[in-house]
Amino acid sequence: MEAAIQLTGVTKTFGKTTAVDNLDLEVPSGGLYGFIGPNGAGKTTSIRMILSILFPDSGAISVLGRSSALDAKDRIGYLPEERGVYKKMRVRAFLRYIARLKGHNGSGLDDGISEWLERVGLPGISSKRLEELSRGMSQKIQFVSAVIHKPDLLILDEPFSGLDPISVRTLRELILEEHSRGATVVFSTHVMPQAEEICEQVVMIHKGKKVLDEAVAVIRSQYDPRAIQFEPLDPGADTATLVSIPEIERLDSKDRGVEIILREGADPTAVMHRLIDTVPAARIELSRPRLEDLFMELIADDTPEGEEDRLRAELRNAGAKGGAG
Amino acid sequence: MNRILRIALRDFVATAGTKGFIIGLLSTPVIGAVLLVLGPRLLLDRDYQIEGEYAVVDPTGFVLPEMERVLDPEMISQRRLEEFRRGLDRAPEFAQDIAESTLRQSMDEALGPAPEIRLAALPADTDIEAKKAWLNEESDGLRHTALIVIHQNAVHASGPESGLGAYDLYVPSGLDDRDLDFIHDTVREAILNARVSEQSLDRAVIDSLTRVRRQGSTTVSPDAERQTVGGFNFILPVVFMMLLFIGIMTGGQIMLTSMIEEKSSRVVEVLLSAVSPMELMAGKLIGSVALSLVSMGLYVVLGLAVLSFFSLFDLLDLWLILYLLIFFLIGFFVIGSLMLAVGASVNTINEAGQLQTPLMLVLMLPLFIWPAVSRNPNSMLAVVMSHLPPINSFGMLVRMTSSQPPPWWEVWLSIGIGVASVFGAVWVASKIFRIGLLMYGKPPNLRTLFRWVRDA
Repeated sequence: MEAAIQLTGVTKTFGKTTAVDNLDLEVPSGGLYGFIGPNGAGKTTSIRMILSILFPDSGAISVLGRSSALDAKDRIGYLPEERGVYKKMRVRAFLRYIARLKGHNGSGLDDGISEWLERVGLPGISSKRLEELSRGMSQKIQFVSAVIHKPDLLILDEPFSGLDPISVRTLRELILEEHSRGATVVFSTHVMPQAEEICEQVVMIHKGKKVLDEAVAVIRSQYDPRAIQFEPLDPGADTATLVSIPEIERLDSKDRGVEIILREGADPTAVMHRLIDTVPAARIELSRPRLEDLFMELIADDTPEGEEDRLRAELRNAGAKGGAG
Repeated sequence: MNRILRIALRDFVATAGTKGFIIGLLSTPVIGAVLLVLGPRLLLDRDYQIEGEYAVVDPTGFVLPEMERVLDPEMISQRRLEEFRRGLDRAPEFAQDIAESTLRQSMDEALGPAPEIRLAALPADTDIEAKKAWLNEESDGLRHTALIVIHQNAVHASGPESGLGAYDLYVPSGLDDRDLDFIHDTVREAILNARVSEQSLDRAVIDSLTRVRRQGSTTVSPDAERQTVGGFNFILPVVFMMLLFIGIMTGGQIMLTSMIEEKSSRVVEVLLSAVSPMELMAGKLIGSVALSLVSMGLYVVLGLAVLSFFSLFDLLDLWLILYLLIFFLIGFFVIGSLMLAVGASVNTINEAGQLQTPLMLVLMLPLFIWPAVSRNPNSMLAVVMSHLPPINSFGMLVRMTSSQPPPWWEVWLSIGIGVASVFGAVWVASKIFRIGLLMYGKPPNLRTLFRWVRDA
């Protein structure tokens, strides 16, 4: 399959800081890729280089078969992390302006704008000034501006940042629709659950280096599940006795039950049988490996003590900015 | 329409449609017209009343009676009329016609109310040192404004070889210059009258013999001849330079603020996903140059209309307007592109101030040195100023509108240098622009900008 994006040995430095270090990446046409990593990992710099907004110090970049995104800008939709609008412009005029800059020939553009406004749940606002819209509404308009010209490649930098859960769900559906249409979608996020839910493949970046580039399905099959979610049938049951099972390393209390962490090499199926025998269960479920755990495992050697908890919190959710929905 | 023009059009419409731009555009000529009409009236001294009491020591016995005559209201009125007429001789013809038809009223409006003076004669042996205190004494009537001591030989020379004397004048502190001038004029006039009278001559005859009325001159050009308009050659360079300055500043400032706004509202990265930095920069430059051309075009048309109204249209060489356009474009693209680069490097208008200051100083320079260039258009200063970018546009335009325009090859050399400097400035600005657009946080200093240019 032809690569929509190909990066070979790309390096970018700012002064003494290496933002991206010898990055190799290939995103096939029609793929749905997630760029994941904590803030400052180099995701935005990589995306800006892919778009020829920044230029690498060394290495080669190919986008949609061209050596520079400048030659293929009309086929690319981009929603930057640092995004804004002309506050004084009206919604329709803004979308028309961006679409025409993106090479739309204008034919059927007004109908297309109306259709998109319906899809994002904002019909009837086309004549409003952008300064009159709420932040969430404005973000939806920005998303529309990235896709209004039906791009072959859609790059979204932290698209869910600052959105409420309902808007996150709407946006997720729209991204998946664009992917179904045939567009290659690359989005960056520092919130791992979002990537887990949407992506076919994830590329993990840490301190400018790629630490993992793998299909989500492969990750799930390759990495041992070592945690079991357990809720006793009797809420008052003493789950502490479960620790007597030799394969169990430790128990972590949860809302209605416990998370059981297995020792390395333990057979989860056998343990689950023994658990049910020991304490009757209302729910017992093998935890899937979380990207967050995987990421922490991959960068463990490179992470100073005390930094791990901060990184984990950052990767787990978007905090007050809005969650995975 | 390509992307550059699309950006230019959006920027043009976004600014030209605002109330601020329209008000700014129209307010300049309105303010100019108001100042032109009201300025002279506001500056006139017509409300100032010259009054006071003069103590006079006249050992000659001839001057004091003459002073009384000189200060007679009818005589003062006569003299002021003569003075006013002499002043009118220098005014344009249409102003003379208007003023002549209402001479008295015009004079009163121009010179204000007639002076009110009382004279106090002092004996010749008055102790002058003691009398000086009188000047600062409180007075219930007219203020004590002068102690005048006429010299013994003010009217008759003391001997065949010695010259004529004059007078000593003592005035209180805080006396207005207009009072002082009036006192000198009065004493001078009285002494003159006394001397002429003592020589058995007629002052009226002498006045008529010594007066030569200044006549208007006629300017002869190859095609026509007309009455010379005084001051036109002085005003023309100022007008052209101000048009250039307003044009460059209007577009430059609009571009700077719109760039800062786009950067601070984070819309710039959305644009950069659609166009290259160079396309964005070119679009913004073209949009702003169009705005400036609208304002300059309006002012040029208004200026031509004024010239036409006063039948002065033929005084202006219309080719100068073409050169104004050429030099404006050069000046705009040099200064404007650098201002745009400043706008792209900072996040707020306050941060722009520090980087903008050197540019503003350079732009202000011609405003300070143009009189020297205009009066001596072929001096070393003038030649340097008209070829040194980025102020060569101003310098050359001032020289071209002066009384001794430079040869054509100098004009085109300056244009050539200007065009080269446009390429240089746009090249430098594009480097800063490309890097600065995505830089947030601490604003760069000049050294950082130089590094960006070197590294980009």
